[in-house]
Amino acid sequence: MNSDLFCGELVRLTVEDPRVLAEAFSRWDRDSEYMRLLDSFPALQWSTKKVQEWVEKDQDQLRPDLFMFGIRTRSEDRLIGGISLDGVKWAHGESFLGIGLGDRTCWGNGYGTDAIRVILRYAFTELNLVRVSLDVFEYNPRAIRCYEKAGFVHEGRLRKFLDREGERWDMIFMGILREEWEKTA
Amino acid sequence: MRLTAEDPAVTAEQFVRSNRDSEYVRLLDNTEARLWSVKKVKEWLEKGFEKETPATFTFSIRILESDRLIGFVGLGGVQWSQGDAWMGIGLGDRQDWGKGYGTDALRVLLRYIFTELNLHRVSLGVFEYNPRALRSYEKAGFRMEGRQRKLYEREGRRWDGIVMGILREEWEQLA
Repeated sequence: MNSDLFCGELVRLTVEDPRVLAEAFSRWDRDSEYMRLLDSFPALQWSTKKVQEWVEKDQDQLRPDLFMFGIRTRSEDRLIGGISLDGVKWAHGESFLGIGLGDRTCWGNGYGTDAIRVILRYAFTELNLVRVSLDVFEYNPRAIRCYEKAGFVHEGRLRKFLDREGERWDMIFMGILREEWEKTA
Repeated sequence: MRLTAEDPAVTAEQFVRSNRDSEYVRLLDNTEARLWSVKKVKEWLEKGFEKETPATFTFSIRILESDRLIGFVGLGGVQWSQGDAWMGIGLGDRQDWGKGYGTDALRVLLRYIFTELNLHRVSLGVFEYNPRALRSYEKAGFRMEGRQRKLYEREGRRWDGIVMGILREEWEQLA
């Protein structure tokens, strides 16, 4: 048995106080490039108060289909992003992975790859899922590389799904099966 | 057929009747097949109508000749800034399968999507074990864009989820 499921080599997954998380989210939302890498919705700015209400609601409801964590560096205990398994379909053993590192000073240092390793181990050995899916935008090669490194396989692309900077871009979808993950682990 | 708006009581009654057929439910959706009362479904529909967001468009389908209600077709998750949406369709009564009603409803919906809502593309998901639907989508002009491997578990084995899409320029060449 692994002694701490929530701990990787560089980061650990945490549950944060709603106020701490809300403060971080509304700070990261100021960076429109981050927002556009993260989501297809129009980049927007939210108040800390509003975000805190959402986070509190999510935490109070104890939704059985959502597992959401903060990401903290092990070296400095700094909150650098969030990661979640959402839309868990228990009957099919499947879930959707989302991750965002809002603090761009830590991009390209392997934190995301490490956080994904930790959450895949959680998905396959604690939740006992069979498969994890994700979406990523064509204009985010850094994320695509990171998912490939974690073992995700390209499964297709929604052609010209996004309209940004006056150009249309594909949305790529990827997935990893438990038997594939077992071979990488 | 034509697309219609129905009273919640009418839609709920039709929904519950279709829903008794677990094969229909499994072709339609990935959630667990289960049975709902008319009362419960009517409550949901009424609640949905109250807070109907501009990101959802749902229609019922009636046969032109007999005015019989045979199913629904809908658009969800409209993203106006990107110009795309997801669509779904269900014909609840098995006697209406394989007669071209679904293909006709798709044609009308696509015309609505591209000439009234002015979207740029439409996406849909279909189960590997539903070749009838797959053929119908291909006939309507949808193209395969990928498969999510072993996404679903049914009847003791795993099945792929197939993702399809059609772009406005592709639809214009068909029309």
